[in-house]
Amino acid sequence: MAKKITRRKFLKGAVMGGVALGTGLGGYRVTYGQAKKSAGPIKIGGQGAISGAHADYGWQMMAGATLAAEQINLKGGILGRKLEMKFMDEELKPATAVKNARYFVTDWGADFLFGIDSSGSAMAIGPVLPELNRLFFFTHAATHRLTEELVAGKGIKQIFRMVAPVYQDALAAWVFKDNPEIKRWAGINCDYEYGYVAWNLFKENIKKFRPDVEFVAAAWAPFWTMDFSSHISAVMAEKPDAIFSTPWAGEGVMLLRQALMLGVFDKIQAWWQGMGGSVDLLEGISREVAGDKFKGKLWATARYIHNYPSTPDNKAFVEAFRKRWGKFPNYSAEGSYSAIYAIKAGAEKAKSIETAKVGAALEGMELKTPAGPRLIRKEDHQAVYTVPAGRVMMSPDYPLPILGDLKVIPANDYFRNPPFTPVAATK
Amino acid sequence: MRGIYTEKMLEKLLFQSLIGLSFSMYLWLLAAGLTLVFGVLGVLNFAHGSLFMLGAYATFTLYGKLGLNFWLSIALSLISVGIIGAILERLFIRRIYDIDLAYQLILTFGFILIFDDLVKMIWGGVAMIPPMPSFFEGNLSVLGRPFPIYNLFIILAGIAVAIILWLILEKTWWGRMIRASASDREMASAIGINIPILFTTVFVFAAMLAALGGALGTPVRVVAPGIGTAMIIQAFVITVIGGLGNLKGAFVGALIVGILTSFGILLFPVFELFIIFVVMAIILMVKPEGLFGK
Repeated sequence: MAKKITRRKFLKGAVMGGVALGTGLGGYRVTYGQAKKSAGPIKIGGQGAISGAHADYGWQMMAGATLAAEQINLKGGILGRKLEMKFMDEELKPATAVKNARYFVTDWGADFLFGIDSSGSAMAIGPVLPELNRLFFFTHAATHRLTEELVAGKGIKQIFRMVAPVYQDALAAWVFKDNPEIKRWAGINCDYEYGYVAWNLFKENIKKFRPDVEFVAAAWAPFWTMDFSSHISAVMAEKPDAIFSTPWAGEGVMLLRQALMLGVFDKIQAWWQGMGGSVDLLEGISREVAGDKFKGKLWATARYIHNYPSTPDNKAFVEAFRKRWGKFPNYSAEGSYSAIYAIKAGAEKAKSIETAKVGAALEGMELKTPAGPRLIRKEDHQAVYTVPAGRVMMSPDYPLPILGDLKVIPANDYFRNPPFTPVAATK
Repeated sequence: MRGIYTEKMLEKLLFQSLIGLSFSMYLWLLAAGLTLVFGVLGVLNFAHGSLFMLGAYATFTLYGKLGLNFWLSIALSLISVGIIGAILERLFIRRIYDIDLAYQLILTFGFILIFDDLVKMIWGGVAMIPPMPSFFEGNLSVLGRPFPIYNLFIILAGIAVAIILWLILEKTWWGRMIRASASDREMASAIGINIPILFTTVFVFAAMLAALGGALGTPVRVVAPGIGTAMIIQAFVITVIGGLGNLKGAFVGALIVGILTSFGILLFPVFELFIIFVVMAIILMVKPEGLFGK
């Protein structure tokens, strides 16, 4: 008998669909609810960039989270349940990131979500989270709008950010405020939200300390820029004293090496590489640092650096990570590692893995993490912790460059505080 | 006062155009093969950027990983990508010469995905940057500013390829065969030109040009899945500006796109990406067949 959709069947389907739709959000809660399932593993879905010039970041997230999950499982899991993890490529595309998040929750059955490199992806996922009803621990995406607008402004309580946002890049204002010889600043920044906000925040802050500084040039590089020579030569035409730059990962390495080729470090006094303290970038330029090609003028920060703080907790984390993966952890590794431990702390305090309960338990909590104490700020769910800036240099204790001559400025000084005033997210 | 200002501006523009010129040369090497294959075989090869990427990966492996001589690495990369090109043409591209253009798009686009995934399987997704050959380190003083020796080398290499291509096409028997079959395939076949072999040769040659672009970029750029696709849009813009299938057009188009991009970054940093497309639109309004199109 041939299968044929009769008018009757069609109507039946349509009515059932209408009923399902009519139940609205309540229906979603039941469909994707966590409470029913109390045995079996706790499932954690992660995603980040695992292909292209930024691919090391996603790998680091996966590696950090896996290490945490393995450690936790060895000690019996969370509330007696083991952790199970799956990691996907967000491709730095908002549509892919949202699709992944939906897949994780509705198909795979994730209880918690984490990761995301691109700010664009983070801003796309945020508004979907109340519907998916899962906590999402962002471990890289740096836009201030994620926590300032979506959490503090719109009250999307499912968002938590474990790593320092774009405030960290503006730390340059505090680092260079006492260098009167550096007056003319130029920017080579990412041609997307992260670059715009970093540059705007830096300008706003350094102007407060130093009304005499000038911003003489700005060049913008989109994702997939492979030749930065035009950007470098355009800003160097204005003879700046220092350069503020945000391209990260492989793009940061290329930018710095192309700047060396163009003799930039003979002409300027300082170069600030926002996320230059990330391990992949330090590895990429280690030959040049060892050969003193940057002449000690390269300064950077990160959202965590492996040689700070000098505490037993941090040393144990770096050692365990190196033993497990044969590499040093970068900040997305530490952030993801801490995110998994945050899930543990929240769930144990709430004695539940329910989204609302764990979220409430985490608010205002101070976590003990490799990067030091992390306070989960109640108003915006932003983890507040201090990461220093430093000069990129070699150290006899490490096989790759580190940040030295550390400048430690307390996070409360350079993090923005609620209630938030708007920052321009445009060029 | 105004005199000094304009003189400075002129110097800035000159220096910026030199920087843009070196960028143009990568684009030229990519666009040359693209336009050649279109002109002779009539195929719009979207996967041409993948051959650029394979050239970069091969050179990275031979030079950066295995530590072979830089020049030898480039030569071996060209040969390997040439072989891949031959296989592509013989087994796949050949079958779509006479069918609808949409099939070319589907087939060659499919190869982009296949090559990107193959590269991820073999080398992993992480970007890699090999060291610079030491004899290329350093810079010259041009207009009082440091100009990298490597960029100068790229400019010379690009021009050399342009001259060699011109000599081959205009002065050799083989070049005449290519031009003959580009203008009338059936007639050329009738006078005894072996079209299938000629087509394979042209495709292999184009693949090697793309590989050369990728190979020359390895010391200063990044090697990652997707680097070919990142450039192929610009290469298409170039071939459209210059006239599809026209080599001279591809060279001039590459110069226009490379130098204008560079100027855009200097003069209009806020909307520099937009300029190229405005220029393309204007050229197409005035000459819809492209600058050198027939």
